[in-house]
Amino acid sequence: MDSKFFKLLLLGGAVRFYFCRTPLAPMIGNRVEFATPLNSHKRMQEGIFLLQSGIDPYQGDLVHESPLILSALSGLFQKYPNFLPIFYIILDICTAALLYAMSLRFVKQKQDQQDVERKQYAKDTEELQFGPLDKLDIPELVIVAYLFNPLTVMSCIGMTSTVISNLFLAFFFYCLVKGMLIPCLLVLAFETVRSFYPIVLIAPLLLVFSRNSVRRGVAIAVLFIVGCLIVAVANYFVLNSWNFLDGTLGFIFYFRDLQPNIGLFWYFFTEMFEHFRTMFLITFQLNATVLYLVPLSIKLRKEPPTASNVMVHGFVVFTFFLVTLSMMGALWHLWIYAGSANANFYFGATLAFSTGQIFLITDLLFAHVKREFCLFNGQKILIDGEEARIVLK
Amino acid sequence: MGLLSDPSISTQSKLVDGLARHVRKVCYALYVAGVAWFFCLALPEFNHGTYLSENALSPGLVYPEIRIDANRLAIQLLEELQRERKDHLSTTPHAWIAAKMNEFGLETHTHNYTLRYPFGGGKEYHGKNIYGILRAPRIASTEGIVFAAPYRAASSVHTDISASVPLLLAFADFARRKNYWAKDLIFLVTEQEQLGMQAWLEAYHDGDRDLDLSKAYLRPGNLPARAGSLQAALNIEVQDLEIDHVDVRIEGLNGKLPNLDMFNLVQRIMAREGIASGYKQAPRKKRRHSQSHFEQNLRQMLTMLASQSSGVPTGNHGLFHRYRIDALTIAANRRATHATLKGSPGSAAVPLLKAIEGIARSLNNLLERFHQSFFFYVIVNNDRYISIGDYMPALVALVACAFLKAYLTWSTLPATNAELEKAADWLREHEQEAELEENLEPDKFELPYGSVLIYLTATLLIGFLCNVLPLQQYFLEIPMGAAPLTTSVLSFLSLIGFVLPFVVVLPPGGLELLHVAFLLIYGCALIVIGLLNFALGFFAAVLTVPLVIALETKEENSRSTLRNTIRLATLVMNPMMVVYVIVLAMTFYQFPELSVQKIMLRAATAAMDASAYGLIDSVIYGNWLYFVICTIFLPLWIICWTLSLSKRRDYADYLDFDESPSTSPQPQSKVKTN
Repeated sequence: MDSKFFKLLLLGGAVRFYFCRTPLAPMIGNRVEFATPLNSHKRMQEGIFLLQSGIDPYQGDLVHESPLILSALSGLFQKYPNFLPIFYIILDICTAALLYAMSLRFVKQKQDQQDVERKQYAKDTEELQFGPLDKLDIPELVIVAYLFNPLTVMSCIGMTSTVISNLFLAFFFYCLVKGMLIPCLLVLAFETVRSFYPIVLIAPLLLVFSRNSVRRGVAIAVLFIVGCLIVAVANYFVLNSWNFLDGTLGFIFYFRDLQPNIGLFWYFFTEMFEHFRTMFLITFQLNATVLYLVPLSIKLRKEPPTASNVMVHGFVVFTFFLVTLSMMGALWHLWIYAGSANANFYFGATLAFSTGQIFLITDLLFAHVKREFCLFNGQKILIDGEEARIVLK
Repeated sequence: MGLLSDPSISTQSKLVDGLARHVRKVCYALYVAGVAWFFCLALPEFNHGTYLSENALSPGLVYPEIRIDANRLAIQLLEELQRERKDHLSTTPHAWIAAKMNEFGLETHTHNYTLRYPFGGGKEYHGKNIYGILRAPRIASTEGIVFAAPYRAASSVHTDISASVPLLLAFADFARRKNYWAKDLIFLVTEQEQLGMQAWLEAYHDGDRDLDLSKAYLRPGNLPARAGSLQAALNIEVQDLEIDHVDVRIEGLNGKLPNLDMFNLVQRIMAREGIASGYKQAPRKKRRHSQSHFEQNLRQMLTMLASQSSGVPTGNHGLFHRYRIDALTIAANRRATHATLKGSPGSAAVPLLKAIEGIARSLNNLLERFHQSFFFYVIVNNDRYISIGDYMPALVALVACAFLKAYLTWSTLPATNAELEKAADWLREHEQEAELEENLEPDKFELPYGSVLIYLTATLLIGFLCNVLPLQQYFLEIPMGAAPLTTSVLSFLSLIGFVLPFVVVLPPGGLELLHVAFLLIYGCALIVIGLLNFALGFFAAVLTVPLVIALETKEENSRSTLRNTIRLATLVMNPMMVVYVIVLAMTFYQFPELSVQKIMLRAATAAMDASAYGLIDSVIYGNWLYFVICTIFLPLWIICWTLSLSKRRDYADYLDFDESPSTSPQPQSKVKTN
């Protein structure tokens, strides 16, 4: 925790605070790229209002926030609406601080591991090993990447509940790295009941804590299910009804709101014949949750939450994001306001954006695998006098 | 999945190295390919014949019922109007128009609006539109079609189009007697050219909204009656009842076009009535037959893109597009001679009336808004078009140059720094192994992201000020015309941009990073502009991409003559210079008889007026051109200028640049004058 860290935090906060006060903030809050039915600030407000008026917010199809969050924030929303942006900024900064702490800890662990394994490494791999400077650099990179990422800044100033999710997830990773099982489980259970997809994080959790013993793994899984049930019951007592389950998890699973967003589902489901809907629903949801989980868990079982910084094609991915995001604005205008373009144009941009994300993830994974390989086998491998290539098959 | 992730073990790939060495050649090849593709589009093999996509329109399905009595009515109304015009030299005979509409049984209303002209101390103008609604007998007023005719006062400098109002009224009288209308028909007479139409449309759609009166320049007021959501609009500009040909105008605000179905519909019906009509239709005599098909097509495409690129609508129809209403103007031109008259003069306007009736009945059939056919197209010929999928590759090829160059610049960029860093690390580890005090050392080789970001922000700020400053209250209170005010603010700000690279010198590595950032922003800007207004994006790309490819920040392997040429080209590419050159060319084309000095002077004042009009258009009509030039092109130019100077902190470079001040004062004075 040095002064640079605090300076960065302050700067990040200042950037968010500045943008909160410009007319950009309400505009971002309404942009589909940032505010989806799940996280939009407007819907949160609506939910809190309904909750305060004693109406079940989940009877309509508008509110998809979990009851605990609604009731926890209702005091703040009702009494100090002017301080809400600051509240969100503080949450975001907490997330950044947690990430910082997590990455400090993580790098330390990796260094310890490296010290153990050093003898097996090939000779010319010093630059791939963690140096003493990385201890400061990597956490700094992590925090800069979080604080000054335009997307997180926009989410924060648009006051989307993504900020809250990020905080919980950061806390989850922090606990995971620290090896604290119970808080980890609780946070994950809470997030799972809230927005379902974090359930995939059960895999790293199991891998970290079970330590290759099946019995422990089963015990943790049972604990997790119990945790989910506890959270669900706690949610139940807010309203004394189970409606919220359909309003949050059911909404996510059945994908009822086809409002376009930065993802791809909306387009598939608008184009689909209604009687195939169930089949595609299951296929897509499986695709989103299970399909990538299993192979990735197998491959990366040794170090589940990995943050590799040996990026090769970051530039291409960055350009992809830049172009697609700027195109999305233009195409949205043409589709919704000018009425000349149509959904296909916008979908093209979101498709390209997703492609960029896939590139980003494969790139990260590949960089990770490559680094591992090179550490043990050396940087320059010559096969028949030519430079060897790693081919993913 | 080794598609993107570099499969070789070392991070530096041979392909990239090879490409980086020939980046200019590759980029120029792409550029040539893009432009060549565009030219190819004029060939009949590359474009398609038009067809009607919306079945509901079914043009010509009904037999036209409008008869010679409507024509007689139009003639009689025109005579009455001519008498009225003698009493109303500079105003609109509102009372007469309203009385006629009432007489024909329309629900007649007037609409008042006010323009608060911001410049020169501020003035207020008042205007009045008249419209009559014919309520559809078959449906509650949920949908409507607009038939509009602009009225020009007798004192107007523009061509007399006073025959439009009688024609509109004659058609209204005919339509009133029919019971098949499924949409409300609105007959609208606007005044003061596009201003009246803009005010009416704003009042129609946002009339009940409370405006911030201190900020709104056009106060549209509210309308007493409406007719549901407007589906389509037809603007009629007729010079005389005896017409020679009809020019169909489609270009709208910011280069938007009506649905191609609408254009096809008008073309079909005009053809059925035997009226020579088309896009940019010229009088029969002037049509050249000496040109080849290819040349004609290319000329047509280029004129269409040219008129689209300014974003200024070619008629009142263009303002409808902002509200998702498909609209176009049929501009009927007067017959020059009476010798070729067919039929009696008493039935001269019958074909046109029949055509309007046909269009109205087709529009009446619409079940939804126009959505079937294309909204993005270029008309090659009256019956051939190019769709967006065919013309976009031309722009994409041009923009790809920027991204390709950005990637290659980037991939050669960090390698050197990494090498430097590696060397430093190696040294450090060997010399002072245990010490950890070199916190400052590695920073030296890091790319200066921060300063580049600040530089970018500064240039963007200059662009932002161009938008905001001329409208500030303290500037507006200066008793100065709009043109000199805007021009002086703009030239002052671009002068700051001109001086900026001399004052601020980026740290090592900064220029290269700025170059990459510039290429990315430039590419993104062109893509977005091209999506919103293809013509503007394409022309800007064709004009600037060669320069952008030629730009180089490295000093080795470049000769000084080439450098100076690039610098000069960059100076000429200043947005204000470009505007001046365009205006100069237009002045030269219009007044070839004047001396060069006079033309240059006249062009200078015209360019000043143009910038002021651009600003006024942007605040009143929402034209983007001024915004785009100021907020995107000017900052990009400043960065481009910085890169072409490529001033470095190294001492050796300062000696190299001794010649630059000798070339700069001359263009500097040019910037000031225009």
